[in-house]
Amino acid sequence: MSELNYVGKSWRRKDGPDKVTGKAVYTQDVKLPGTLVGRILRSPHPHARIVRIDTSRAKALPGVKAVITVDDTKGIKHGFVETPRYPADQEVLARDKVVHVGEEIAAVAAIDQATALKAVELIEVEYEHLPAVFDPLQAMKPGAPEVHPSHPKVADPYANIGGKSETEWGDVERGFAESDYVREDRFESHLRTHGYLEPHVTLAHWEGDKMNVWTSSMGAFVKRAKLARTLDLPYSAVRIHKTYVGGTFGGKIDLYSHEYCAARLSMITGRPVRIVASREEIFSAFRHGQPLAMEIKTGVKKDGTIVAQQIRVINNSGGFRGSGVVVIFLAWGFTMIPYRIPNLRYEGFSVYTNYPVRAPQRGHGAPQIRFAIESQLDRIAEDLGIDPIAIRLRNARLPGEALPNGDNVHQAGLVDCIKMAAEKSGFLEKHGRDRGAPPQGTIRRGIGIGVSAYMGGTLIYPNGSAVIVKMNDDGSAVVLTGAIDIGQGSETVISQIVAEELAIGMDDVKIISSDTDTTPQDIGAWISGMTYVTGNAARQAAGNARDKLIAVASEKLGVPVSELAVKDKVVFSTRDPSARLTYRQAIAASIATHRGDTVIGEGYWRTMRDEPNHPSLATTKGRWTENYAFSAQVAEVEVDIETGEARLVKALTVHDCGFPVNPALVKGQIDGQISMALGHAFMEEVMTKDGYTLNPNWLDYRMPTIHNMAISEDADVITEQYRVGEPYRTKEVGEGLVSGILAAMANAVYDATGVRLNSTPFTAEKILYGLKALEFKQKQASREETVGA
Amino acid sequence: MLDVTKSGLGTGTRAQSRLVSLQVNGEWHEVAVKPRVTLVEAIRDAIGLTGTKASCESGTCGACTVLVDGRPVLACITLAIECDGKEVRTVEGLADGEKLSALQEAFLDQGAIQCGFCTPGMLMSATALLERSPRPTREEINKALEGNLCRCTGYNAIVDAVLQASDQGVKPVMK
Amino acid sequence: MILFDFELERPGTPADAVALLERLHGDARVLAGGTDLVPNMRAELIKPGVLVSLGAIAPEAPATLPDGALRIDAFSRLAELERSELVRARAPMLAESARAVGGNQVREMGTLGGNLCQESRCLYFNQRHDYQFAAPCYKLGGDRCYPFPTNKRDTCWSVYMSDVAPALIALGAEIEILSAKGIRRISAEDLFTGNGLRPLALDAAELVRAVIVPAPAPRTGWAFHKSTVRGGLEFGMAVIAVRLELAGDGKTCAGARIAIGAVRERPVRPAAAERALADAAPDDARLADAAAAAAKEVNPLPHHGFTKRYLMDNIRVHLRRLLVRAVERAGGPQA
Repeated sequence: MSELNYVGKSWRRKDGPDKVTGKAVYTQDVKLPGTLVGRILRSPHPHARIVRIDTSRAKALPGVKAVITVDDTKGIKHGFVETPRYPADQEVLARDKVVHVGEEIAAVAAIDQATALKAVELIEVEYEHLPAVFDPLQAMKPGAPEVHPSHPKVADPYANIGGKSETEWGDVERGFAESDYVREDRFESHLRTHGYLEPHVTLAHWEGDKMNVWTSSMGAFVKRAKLARTLDLPYSAVRIHKTYVGGTFGGKIDLYSHEYCAARLSMITGRPVRIVASREEIFSAFRHGQPLAMEIKTGVKKDGTIVAQQIRVINNSGGFRGSGVVVIFLAWGFTMIPYRIPNLRYEGFSVYTNYPVRAPQRGHGAPQIRFAIESQLDRIAEDLGIDPIAIRLRNARLPGEALPNGDNVHQAGLVDCIKMAAEKSGFLEKHGRDRGAPPQGTIRRGIGIGVSAYMGGTLIYPNGSAVIVKMNDDGSAVVLTGAIDIGQGSETVISQIVAEELAIGMDDVKIISSDTDTTPQDIGAWISGMTYVTGNAARQAAGNARDKLIAVASEKLGVPVSELAVKDKVVFSTRDPSARLTYRQAIAASIATHRGDTVIGEGYWRTMRDEPNHPSLATTKGRWTENYAFSAQVAEVEVDIETGEARLVKALTVHDCGFPVNPALVKGQIDGQISMALGHAFMEEVMTKDGYTLNPNWLDYRMPTIHNMAISEDADVITEQYRVGEPYRTKEVGEGLVSGILAAMANAVYDATGVRLNSTPFTAEKILYGLKALEFKQKQASREETVGA
Repeated sequence: MLDVTKSGLGTGTRAQSRLVSLQVNGEWHEVAVKPRVTLVEAIRDAIGLTGTKASCESGTCGACTVLVDGRPVLACITLAIECDGKEVRTVEGLADGEKLSALQEAFLDQGAIQCGFCTPGMLMSATALLERSPRPTREEINKALEGNLCRCTGYNAIVDAVLQASDQGVKPVMK
Repeated sequence: MILFDFELERPGTPADAVALLERLHGDARVLAGGTDLVPNMRAELIKPGVLVSLGAIAPEAPATLPDGALRIDAFSRLAELERSELVRARAPMLAESARAVGGNQVREMGTLGGNLCQESRCLYFNQRHDYQFAAPCYKLGGDRCYPFPTNKRDTCWSVYMSDVAPALIALGAEIEILSAKGIRRISAEDLFTGNGLRPLALDAAELVRAVIVPAPAPRTGWAFHKSTVRGGLEFGMAVIAVRLELAGDGKTCAGARIAIGAVRERPVRPAAAERALADAAPDDARLADAAAAAAKEVNPLPHHGFTKRYLMDNIRVHLRRLLVRAVERAGGPQA
């Protein structure tokens, strides 16, 4: 394709007009007559045996239509991961014991909220307290309170092990022996929530043989599968309807108890049931991201070349397996992608504690592990007297390199990213400036860099996407796609691709999306694969429809297919443009001469067609994706050295996201990730005590406001390479960019102040007392010098 | 200590609903509400305008912002009964028929929307700002939108949209 | 969404409002802007039988009294104070403190009186108690303190977080309180009990009616700072207000009023620090010493994730900067 009219251009959002006028329908906006209100009874204890549940008083309350406990379920378990090694581990309501505060014990359906609340209060539960454990290191110790038995296949003598990932290549011991310099550090990340504005909400309506569900999710097909299984219904009996989704960031995958409960309560009552999670419930009982503790030992040559690395990651994974066993696998993955590590030993433990279950969260392990690795790399560089750019260039992977798992990084743009980031930010001129010659006043400025890489479209159920393009008689198209627009712009991107391939206008494309009954299967808006996987399925489908139009035109015009082209809803001969057939004519011709066949295109896509399955979470064996995106990000921060108060002033993101189908949407993803990362760095923390959440609201959980946004600049490095013939070689851009920038901020705080923080968040308090500790050390050193003299 | 032993009305008593008149986007609506019904519930459930979003329902995120007599208020912590006889404007009232307001157009042009859940409230706060201050400074924009959380966009595009709508030299980035 | 029923009355005059409160014997709460009360009702921290709404009573515009003082109707919205030319000219610190409150919508809704009458706050308190901290704490009439388990019965270290109150105290403002018995006037400081269980020295049938800010003496400077993490839509980690007066020589500090909020059950005036500033030359060293002394004297409670140690450091630094600023504004030697 020589000339691009739709892809590669910043088209306005397809869903924009609906969203600025209030017409966009979200789950909370769907109204059905006779809808009952559902409410969940949650555990007031972090760990307790359930001795007895008595729902009789609740059931007797006027206005209460149904009350369910685990005894009213089929007892079918579900899990974020469901594999032979990690089978489904969680019931939809607690059985026999609760393992975290807020765990779902029972659910009621009533005529209104007040009645539902009263009913919940009338359910009597007798508990027997069990000792609880919150610190994963404590939980691992043999003899610690047992949340669940350790995984039978994990040989270590630890308690509460939900899962383990381990891998090794090269010879790590020899690598360290051959290193000129070895350094060990420990890093910690903290608990953060996703912060989607739309709360979790589910409306379910059982119609005798059909479970209709509207729910705020990230992928209709995953929800259908898990709901159907736990309800013990055939997939065809469950329909997830399309609604717009008000943000997810990883927090709306998987099955949530309230979704099951709404459905089950509807089956029992025969009426629609809606359950809305309050923001407090989302904070104190729903799933957050995953705090990791990371021990890293790295050996390098004098010139900074990494020789060996040994990493141990411990995940505080909460009361069930959740995505805890995935994040310890991914932390390995995000270790191996950007830099060459000839010898590596990695082990990651997912440890049960009496906290709520954990979910993926934008970046899913990358922000944590990249923060750790990139912080340590800066320390190593400084110890060796190398600058932060040089050490990264020394180790960055080159195009075409094979990764240890057999994947290939293809046109990896990392080296270009690092070089351009350094150049555009004036990195080396700025780095070390304020520490070298402190300016007047109390504000110090620092600069830091962080590198990351992210995969896209990895194989997880349903593993692939299909798209159908139905041509209308007038030459416009209806696109059926299971892709869900959670704000990332999937409907816009798919429209652009279809418009491009069919040579029709953006307004000629109508998207029907995310409805399990009417649209084909889709991988969902996670695993960072929408544009790549569903986008290419859309390309195939539109191309398939175009080919059919051309074939009919060829017959009709008597011009060989090879000499026909399309433009503005017309098929024409490239030799004689007067030989032409409009789409309308072509479709009519197809119907007239081909048994009534109208024109419908089909397209399918999947990452790594030859690869049967996703890689092993336990051993990391197996390929992952053909789709790696790379980035280097620079942060400039300001710190008030008297108060420790710090802020991000400027962020630069240089990335290789492949071909940007819609550059303005790419920019939107970048800005959003910068904002989320600066919240991670400086502001946000879910505070807990003994498993209870202290700040279950947006006043005390401090997500960035409009005041905190920094200047965010970006550049894509090797777009031109893709522009020539590869406009669909898209890569990931939706979650990988929360990581390098987090590390960059840590490194920039150090650059500004000399304070090295090994744990997030970088609060004013930590920075200030870091400064005071430095001051004390310096005084001591000068005193010793004086004494020595 | 707080007097929590008292629990609303005594048992057996039910607060009477009262008829409240709201002029919503130019049309008068009469709704019967109990005192405890909030403005966002009245707008979404009784009047049926669902463009206004309920997010935190405790006054901490701004998603439910509507204009009452021209002032941006948090509809989730405003009692509907307190708005009797007042003019209420919601996101549905911003466009003039099919014609979007300059601010709505600017949100589309700047990519100031992603998931769209904060958008109605954001638009209402920004509309109130522009009515009071037609060419706001960046600082004024920040102050006037500080009560509206957005998790998707990182805010820069939103600031640009307000600058574009107020004719301060910012050009559309999307077409 | 409030899940219990209550009645609501809308008296037409302040006199009717207090008559109603008197009649209701403490079963009522006053509803002004609702930005503190309604969330607390939603969380069922407060369950009044009746709300007495001030919504039907239009506030009077701010006015200058014969003695030059500024009288501000307590029913005024914070945004109105922020925008009022008169307030900005005569009591700029009050306008600035009003501008620091909450977010834009909270300032459009919330009133001056309502801001002063807000409940004190604590992480363990400000949430629903369905399954978290379900057994009531002292402040909720229970038998425990979650954050400070060794606190004696009825000792509550919730913090009072109004942004406006410290400004009013530093300005030497007075509060006009209306009840069925008539009007009483107290200094702004005396509005507070210092007890987290019940932070306001107000009877259930009383209403904050107006605030009177005295005219500043010549050579008076002020400065205000709210320490936050994100710069808006947030309660302060510390709120500091300073008013400082220079003597006729323009070189000596005649007196200073410092008020520090959000770190104790009430806004605190560090008396010793104020004394140390009086009749002294406000040089950098003295201002720094005073700030350090004040931070210690305030003895901040750890709250909302901030440690006592850090709060002291934060207050010390910002207070020193405010004092320097106030001296400059007073036209002092540093100007």
